[in-house]
Amino acid sequence: MEKSGSVDSLGSKPSSRQPSVDSLSSTSTSRSDRSAQAKPPSVLSSDSVSTSAEFSPELRVKPKATAKKAHRDSDKEEPQLLPNETVQDMAPDITYFCPFTGALRGTVMVTNYRLFFKSMDKDPAFMLDLPLGVVSRVEKIGNTSSRADSSYGVVCKDMRILRFSHKQVDDTLKKSIFEVLMKFAFPVSNGLQIFAFEYGQVFPENGWKVYDPISEYKRQGIPNESWRITKVNDHFELCDTYPSTLVVPVNIPDEELKRVAAFRAKGRIPVLSWIHPESQATVTRCSQPTVGVNGKRSKEDEKYLQAIMDANAQSHKLFIFDARPSVNAAANKMKGGGYESEDAYQNAELVFLDIHNIHVMRESLRKLKDLVYPNIEDSHWLSNLESTHWLEHIKLILAGALRIADKVESGKTSVVVHCSDGWDRTAQLTSLSLLMLDGYYRTIRGFEVLLEKEWLSFGHRFQQRIGHGDKNHSDADRSPVFIQFIDCVWQLTRQFPAAFEFNEYFLVTILDHLYSCLFGTFLCNSEQQRLKEEIPKRTVSVWSYINSQLEEFTNPMYLNYSNQVLFPVVSLRHLELWSGYYIRWNPRMKPQEPIHQRHKELLAKRAELQKRVNELQREGEHWKTRNQCHNWIQEEPLCRSASLGDECTTTTSLNRQRCVTIRVECVYVGDHWTAAIYKILVL
Amino acid sequence: PERMLNQSSIGARSRDVFGLRCLPGECVLQRTVMVRKKLTAREGRGWLSGTLFCTHFRVAFVPQDSPKADDNADPILLGDHDIALASIEKVVAVGPNRTKLVTPNSSLKFTPEELVLYCRDMRVMCFLFDRLTPDAQVIEITYTIAKTYQPLKPGSVLAFQNAALGSVEMKQFLSNRRRDSHMNWFESASDWEQELERCGATSWRVSSVNDRFEMSNSLSKFIVVPQKVLDTELKKSFAHFNEGRIPRWCWRHPRGSDLLRMSSFQNNIYHEKDDIRNLEMVLFGCQSSLCVVVELGDELPSPADIQLAHSRLRALCLGDISSSVSVPDDKWLSTLEGTHWLDYIRSCLRKASEVSCLLRSGHLTVALQEVEDRDMSCVVSSLVQVMCDPHYRTQHGFQGLVQKEWVMAGHRFYSRINYHRESDKEESPVFLLFLDCVWHLWFQFPSRFQLTDDFLLALHDSVHLPLFSTFLSNCQRERCKRSQNVGQLYTPVNGWRDMLGPDSSSDTSDPPLPPVWDWALQYSRERRDGFVQPVAPMPPLQLLQNGNLNTNLDTHRLADAGPGSVFLLSRGAFTCPANLPPWRSGGSGAYRKSHRRALSCENVPGLERLLKAWALTELPQNTATASGSKGPLDPYEPLLPLLMGPCMSLWRECYLRGALHAQAFSHPVSANRPHPVDRLAQEVQQLRDQLAQLSPRAAPDSLTVTSDPRRPDTNLNQSTNNSTFLYSALRPKSTPPPTSTNQRTSRGPPSASAPPPRPTRDGPKHSFLFGHSAVAETRSDPRYHPPPGATKLPKSNGSSLTS
Repeated sequence: MEKSGSVDSLGSKPSSRQPSVDSLSSTSTSRSDRSAQAKPPSVLSSDSVSTSAEFSPELRVKPKATAKKAHRDSDKEEPQLLPNETVQDMAPDITYFCPFTGALRGTVMVTNYRLFFKSMDKDPAFMLDLPLGVVSRVEKIGNTSSRADSSYGVVCKDMRILRFSHKQVDDTLKKSIFEVLMKFAFPVSNGLQIFAFEYGQVFPENGWKVYDPISEYKRQGIPNESWRITKVNDHFELCDTYPSTLVVPVNIPDEELKRVAAFRAKGRIPVLSWIHPESQATVTRCSQPTVGVNGKRSKEDEKYLQAIMDANAQSHKLFIFDARPSVNAAANKMKGGGYESEDAYQNAELVFLDIHNIHVMRESLRKLKDLVYPNIEDSHWLSNLESTHWLEHIKLILAGALRIADKVESGKTSVVVHCSDGWDRTAQLTSLSLLMLDGYYRTIRGFEVLLEKEWLSFGHRFQQRIGHGDKNHSDADRSPVFIQFIDCVWQLTRQFPAAFEFNEYFLVTILDHLYSCLFGTFLCNSEQQRLKEEIPKRTVSVWSYINSQLEEFTNPMYLNYSNQVLFPVVSLRHLELWSGYYIRWNPRMKPQEPIHQRHKELLAKRAELQKRVNELQREGEHWKTRNQCHNWIQEEPLCRSASLGDECTTTTSLNRQRCVTIRVECVYVGDHWTAAIYKILVL
Repeated sequence: PERMLNQSSIGARSRDVFGLRCLPGECVLQRTVMVRKKLTAREGRGWLSGTLFCTHFRVAFVPQDSPKADDNADPILLGDHDIALASIEKVVAVGPNRTKLVTPNSSLKFTPEELVLYCRDMRVMCFLFDRLTPDAQVIEITYTIAKTYQPLKPGSVLAFQNAALGSVEMKQFLSNRRRDSHMNWFESASDWEQELERCGATSWRVSSVNDRFEMSNSLSKFIVVPQKVLDTELKKSFAHFNEGRIPRWCWRHPRGSDLLRMSSFQNNIYHEKDDIRNLEMVLFGCQSSLCVVVELGDELPSPADIQLAHSRLRALCLGDISSSVSVPDDKWLSTLEGTHWLDYIRSCLRKASEVSCLLRSGHLTVALQEVEDRDMSCVVSSLVQVMCDPHYRTQHGFQGLVQKEWVMAGHRFYSRINYHRESDKEESPVFLLFLDCVWHLWFQFPSRFQLTDDFLLALHDSVHLPLFSTFLSNCQRERCKRSQNVGQLYTPVNGWRDMLGPDSSSDTSDPPLPPVWDWALQYSRERRDGFVQPVAPMPPLQLLQNGNLNTNLDTHRLADAGPGSVFLLSRGAFTCPANLPPWRSGGSGAYRKSHRRALSCENVPGLERLLKAWALTELPQNTATASGSKGPLDPYEPLLPLLMGPCMSLWRECYLRGALHAQAFSHPVSANRPHPVDRLAQEVQQLRDQLAQLSPRAAPDSLTVTSDPRRPDTNLNQSTNNSTFLYSALRPKSTPPPTSTNQRTSRGPPSASAPPPRPTRDGPKHSFLFGHSAVAETRSDPRYHPPPGATKLPKSNGSSLTS
């Protein structure tokens, strides 16, 4: 087994093998592996293939050099395994029906983490590397009794359907490799452990330290005279789906919080998400009030919302944003839920945002999936896309978040956001409006904090919505709520290409590891469960992986506009389908220019030049002290040193931003060159 | 009847008291103060307050704090905030609770709060009137604009031209303009020879057989034909083609294939034996073996289709508030699909990709055939060249291409654009469709282009101005005729010009209308700076000489095909119908046997393989070298666009820039924050200053840092490139460096004869692509010549950059 050169530089156990970037990410990206020392390297990476995030691994090819090596090792035909990854089964003579290149014959290997298919039919070798967490279901296709080949369809959560077939096994006792696959793809259903608990990779960064609620609230200036941090939920007694640290109005004692909790569905009381640094207008989130058919009221709840309003001296109004369509909200009364009546809540205005529920969203994405994989019908593409309503849902979510951000920023008014339970649409709305309002969340670390806070700690039910390791693929609780949110973020990055520190690959990587079950971050449903399962102790955080190789995820166009509020345009005319995610498996969608690679080079160049500038400045300082009265300067006017030299320029392009350029200017002084300036320009 | 607030005096450039710099002879009809102009995303959103003007020529807007323009600078037809009256399509006044389409005869019953101008080029200008805006002025200017803008009727074009270019000074100015020598105009024989040489097409020659347009009315004076065909032989060929548009050479692929275009065959003509030999020689060009005729009729949209699609697209994108029908957001995608505009773009790009793939295999002749050879063959032939030849992806190369394949080839600009509203049946924005196709290529391969989308947008907008000789004729013959009696064009129709004095009757000396390529006439330097990428696309181009890339890549050469095989490519399949070309069927059966091997379909698979190659290039195996940044990039590898549904995007910057309610794609900017580019420029300048302080003291031993040996001979040129790059971003804020007003006045009267050294924009830009340039930019280093006015500049970053 060849060892990657990067093992030592990471400072991990010398014997541990590196994770493969590609294999971790079910995805995408075989990226060129030039700086093997800085990141978990990728076995399958290849210099010859485009490195953009949009690229599908199905067609990943090995570079010539490694292909040769692979040939030598081809008896084994193994990918580089992760720490504690073990091979469970191997089978030769399997046909993979690639919808793009045709049938390929090769070998399948199943480990406790992945499915690995390799075919030498093509040169370079064709490989398919699929984390088992991505598998939604495995179905046997065709007549089981026939003696012909047996075919299997592996339906993936990331829009793919892979079809394999192999000869009917003569030995009836031996299980098909795809039955082995099913066992390890659904560990939860089979009494096994999710691979994240076994994966023991050590990264230089510890992602579990990214989010600390106390310091995050401190960053926002909390506690202050109106808001306090309460420990009432320390043992999850007030609300088991909320985090232990909550921020509530100062003048509401803990005892009263409990009475408010009784009135709110699942005890999810209104708590602070964000406070405007100047106007003190706040974004608070909660679940629906349990009004019911009889129109129940709660004095405590009414007083509580009044307290939220009073905490903001700028406005004498409070906006309650109910994410649901009003019909649905009314229908919830039948089930004991409902919405705040404006009679009961003085000075509050209720707004319905018309966002549909998880079932509608799941159906919409299913339609989209049918539309884009494997083949796309060109002639009716746009009307077909319209009929999925996916972009319309995206638009409604963005529009809702925009209204919230606008009320807080322009109206200086506090808002309360809820849907039914306050963990799906509410999380989408609060986190998107926070992204618009606060530039901190648009940095890489800030975004991680945002996810940890609004999604993970406030109990978005990742386990239920994604169904990690669970074979029950038709579970009605599954829904692409989080994918939809990331799509909305992507739409924002398209409209404001320089406002985000992270790039598209960052978003794709998050979604890939949402499914991969390699990291513990997206396991479980709530903070309480995560603590109980000792997730931070027993698993690795996806942020460890990401923060250890930030250069992969950095947007070189980023300009820090932290105080700027983003107001995106939410017209459908300006939204696009995120083809870099949804259609990335189609090789015909491969972008024409290796933008990701070039951006990385750009960043490296910038760092290198920055270093040189610093060196030169130090050198200059040194010289200054030595020759302070160098009369040469007086005698020789600057004109002899005026020629500017072009050191290196790189153009690239993202979206429609025209080009990015790094430039060094060298100044010719008398008879030697010196000095360098770098800069990136976004034109 | 019109009130003239400000009549510019003869001989002096006038300046309206509120800061509008009038063109010579231009008079302000109405002015409204305290107006706010809504800014588009491109301009940074929000609004600008200033003064709104209406003249005979344009609606102009001058922002309050705009820097005083240099009175002595050359006139620019349109400022950044201006709109020509001729491009206005609709004037809509928005009142407190209603909107009204304002026509020349309509009367307003309310004071508009907002004035929206819908333009033919899909821009929408929106002006807001404050409470502070005098009501009378608001109503007046609305009426004035409604009355003065060019309602679409025959004859109004002349008045418009006069308003813009009719003054004596303007004529004088225009006659002194020199043509851009960086581009090939394809007007003279030597222009064509230059192109032949550039392409290494040695076996072709320029023929002046059509010098007097006797052979073909619509072809240009000079056409390129095979070396071996004599003019006398050639003459007999014209009759066999529709309108006499015989196969002519357009371009040679570096691997040795030739691209030809021709009109359809005339079937009803008796073919004599000699004719046939000549015809074949012309058609086969310089390739002996193989000719593929690409029929453009059946898969591409007709001009009428394009017209319909474009008008639907306009209606959809403009979202005209005065009309009650507007497309709801949730029907946007299907309505967009229903316009078929994107379908048509796809089919053009697909056809051009097919042709490019044929050409790159080498050693065959591809002849584009269209019935008239004046519409879609312009689109396809020029798209092929943009895809295959990096030269045509530069601004000047592209301009030459439009000259070659559109202007000289006789695209009926005049009829297709229909400025005069004479023949609606003929109207069709074929050229705009082409620009959108180029935009798609640019969008998918931005770093392979030297020109930018800004350039394409500027060209798109200029098409709608009936001012340029480029677009005002249908062919070279007409253009020549027109320029002989320009006097007619310049006859004043409104009569207002009579005031200019008796010498205005000396029409015979009138200069011809300017070509569209005279960008300095239309756009400010800041806009023009954006026409090209600030740095060269990689890799730098080597000059083609005699087909020096003529290495045959394809091992399965197609030469094994019988000599003289003609195939027809249609709907992606090759056939060899007996009557293609028509002279081969019928009476000349004996001829076929004696001269040529019988037609066979043997090499059809070979050709189909070429086409398949294009479908397969989308797979990584084939594109690996093209996309890998390290692999040697063949600059002549065609840019084959992705054409799947999700890859066809809308040119939002063009079609949706008017949708004021829906603007995005800008970086957040607010008034008190500098634009990111300005901020970066500032930072660069700071670093420069620091380095300037450090560098003279730097010791020889610091050489090690930058020991990279530089070529001292080339660094001058490089420095010019650098400075164009660095300062392009800074220019908007700084005064025009060496020619600042103060310097000028102190030097004495400004003389037209000795203009101070002006930076020649085109020179250094050109040099990006060809390594070095003869034109060194004369912009002196700001450190030695700080503009005197620099310290008085309002913007702090402006001064810091120039000091």
